[in-house]
Amino acid sequence: MAEDLNWAIGGEAGDGIDSTGKIFAQALSRAGRHVYTSKDFASRIRGGYTAYKIRTSVDDVQSVVDRLDILVALTQRTIDENLDELHEGSAIIYDGERSWEAEIPDEMTAVDVPLKSLAEDAGGAIMRNIVALGAACAITGFDVEYLDEALEKRFGGKGSKIVENNKEAARLGQEHVEENYDLDHLGYNLETTDNDYVLLNGNEAIGMGAIAAGCRFYAGYPITPATSIMEYLTGRLEDYGGHVVQAEDELSAINMSLGAARAGARSMTATSGAGIDLMTETFGLVATSETPLVICDVQRSGPSTGMPTKQEQGDLNLTLYGGHGEVPRFVVAPTSITECFWKTIEAFNLAEKYQTPVFLVSDLAMSVTEQTFPPEEFDMDAVEIDRGKLVDQDEVDEWLDEQGRFRAHAVTDDGVSPRAIPGTIDGAHMSTGLEHDELGRRTEDQGERVQQVDKRYRKVETAQEREEWDYREFGDPDAENLVVSWGSNEGALVEALGYLEDEGVDVRVISVPYIFPRPDLSEEIEAAADVIVVECNATGQFADLLEHDTLTRVKRINKYTGVRFKADELAEEITEQLAAEVPA
Amino acid sequence: MSSDVRFTDFKSDKQPTWCPGCGDFGTMNGMMKALAETGNDPDNTFVVAGIGCSGKIGTYMHSYALHGVHGRALPVGTGVKMARPDIEVMVAGGDGDGYSIGAGHFVHAVRRNVDMSYVVMDNRIYGLTKGQASPTSRSDFETSTTPEGPKQPPVNPLALALASGATFIAQSFASDALRHQEIVQQAIEHDGFGFVNVFSPCVTFNDVDTYDYFRDNLVDLQEDEDHDPNDYKAAEKVILDSEKEYQGVMYQDDESVPYHELHGVTENMSDIPEDAPEDAMDLVREFY
Repeated sequence: MAEDLNWAIGGEAGDGIDSTGKIFAQALSRAGRHVYTSKDFASRIRGGYTAYKIRTSVDDVQSVVDRLDILVALTQRTIDENLDELHEGSAIIYDGERSWEAEIPDEMTAVDVPLKSLAEDAGGAIMRNIVALGAACAITGFDVEYLDEALEKRFGGKGSKIVENNKEAARLGQEHVEENYDLDHLGYNLETTDNDYVLLNGNEAIGMGAIAAGCRFYAGYPITPATSIMEYLTGRLEDYGGHVVQAEDELSAINMSLGAARAGARSMTATSGAGIDLMTETFGLVATSETPLVICDVQRSGPSTGMPTKQEQGDLNLTLYGGHGEVPRFVVAPTSITECFWKTIEAFNLAEKYQTPVFLVSDLAMSVTEQTFPPEEFDMDAVEIDRGKLVDQDEVDEWLDEQGRFRAHAVTDDGVSPRAIPGTIDGAHMSTGLEHDELGRRTEDQGERVQQVDKRYRKVETAQEREEWDYREFGDPDAENLVVSWGSNEGALVEALGYLEDEGVDVRVISVPYIFPRPDLSEEIEAAADVIVVECNATGQFADLLEHDTLTRVKRINKYTGVRFKADELAEEITEQLAAEVPA
Repeated sequence: MSSDVRFTDFKSDKQPTWCPGCGDFGTMNGMMKALAETGNDPDNTFVVAGIGCSGKIGTYMHSYALHGVHGRALPVGTGVKMARPDIEVMVAGGDGDGYSIGAGHFVHAVRRNVDMSYVVMDNRIYGLTKGQASPTSRSDFETSTTPEGPKQPPVNPLALALASGATFIAQSFASDALRHQEIVQQAIEHDGFGFVNVFSPCVTFNDVDTYDYFRDNLVDLQEDEDHDPNDYKAAEKVILDSEKEYQGVMYQDDESVPYHELHGVTENMSDIPEDAPEDAMDLVREFY
């Protein structure tokens, strides 16, 4: 019997795949089971293959695996696309009354459910996916009551009639399977627990983190896969006294956010790929005007428009080096959905403490993955807000020059200057993208130029000393084999450790959430016999940084198919790499 | 705000590097006077400047200010005003900055109708890069990059504003100090986006659109008793009239609702309430 269940629904975009998947994921979460979801979707509104996959277990699940146990197939393509993940014990739910004749491999269990007509019996063909969910409950012995709860949550706002109809649809699907098939739940017994979990994705965690951090202004321009941050904040940010603006383009979005930040509001913008290219123009202005701003990049496959709905971690160099001239900045990359929340809060604090742009780098896999967590992982009581050297009325005097002018770019030991926001009496000053003196006035004086460049970089040095640029660690801390990763690969790596252990391979995993500044891994790398860097890009941008830092060649596992790493696949790749020669 | 604010309080101690005789001197003086006359003071005013000769204005004025990147002054001003409805926001730019690289932002700032003023110093040339054609240059205006003239019609910024749903459209002349000041004042007082295109002659590179040319050709709408700025059709008529140059308020919609009222953005967003994170606990509950 499988320890965990891998379920999927697939069809054409527009078939309601996403919402059906989400409802089932919520039902499983309500039943106290862990859930990890993934989505296959194409860059089109209607038509084209799309799927929502759920892996669920009573144990923590943090990645996808190469196995599919139950598939709700609304099209033949759904079956074809997933053939390599289906196995002898897989069950495929399909609608035999539909015009296509399902070709289901003999060794698998075909479960023919008249989805459409049963949905019509319940009140409307639109509920055929819910019938399929009822059928899935019957196959696995999962208590349909949990599904009822999820349906109430989903449709409660639309009235009790809709809720009842959906419950009835699920019931009809369940009964159909129970009456016509003797499946004995295919050996599944979906255990439930009393645990209360929350179910959310990375972009929701970023949005929630922003609000918790006191963000009041957000401007953005729609782009996959960053848009859902804006969608989450719209309405909610207003509830907390803030405002969301859909700007005319990314150039405007980042400049509006900069304006709000200069006015004193905690402010953020988010984009992806092509959008971050456009915003690059303003990176330098944010840094030289010393404006606290959080710029979020949810990476997708590039270059150019690349593959907008596919996974990649290819923008690291852009966020690290983007912008002409030399731009001091911080680059923070959450490694899990929980970290999306906490690192967003940290990004706001860093931005205000050091008055710099802070890049919050996420990726598509994390942004669309819904995962369960104990709610304590998002403990708002533990949120701390640090606004840095924001001066109030009483402190302004300390920073005036002999003529009574506010030294907004005062050269200080830690590189951080006082910050007065509009309305602060005697704090009026100008800031500019031009090189400037302490007062913010344009200068080309060599001495002042050097002072200001040094001052801005001193903020990074100060932060390197004061902040903890640590890493997360998993596996055996004494293992000779070291695997280093950044971003959303952490979950798959942690699970891969289990597979590797079964094969007797001990591995130490280091997952790095800070790209710049980043922890010094010299000792860890020195101590390891083999070092492998895992990332979703073709060239190994993070591996390059580590080699640069430590003057040591590392092995690399790079995936740039557009699909995230899977735990079992990663375990295999690591074993292979360990046997391989270190590159010359 | 104190009532004893003088316009010189808006002056910085930095000497302008504009060419002697540049129209931008008069434009800026009018802006400072208008700000003082409307009861603002430097600590409650935010001036956003674009790039080019006009962009230098942030340096010569004294207030909270940002001198940004080319063409993006309006989005910055929009962000400032949305976060701080309590602050007076004035955006200054040039014809290249506002109608070329920033044209997209112009259209959208106009239609958002954010309660701020936008003053464009229009000299119909790129001055700081030493004399290339600008979007408002005449089609036969010979420059280093257009030896036979641009051979395309100039942008009509007033028409662009009108077509984008502007609620206040005006034009002034830097040299007609009093009228210019009055017009900018009206733009500040307008409840919404107050747009003023200012003829601000470039004495170094533009020998066509000169002080004399504007003095000889300018028609003041104030002297035209038939012109009612609240009348859209009348505004359309003067704005689309390519035969004459006008100054005055072409169009004003007194009934328009500014962005902050329409969207309920009225709070000062610079504070973070003490209990903000705890209050956000409801956000976690949503995900159960």
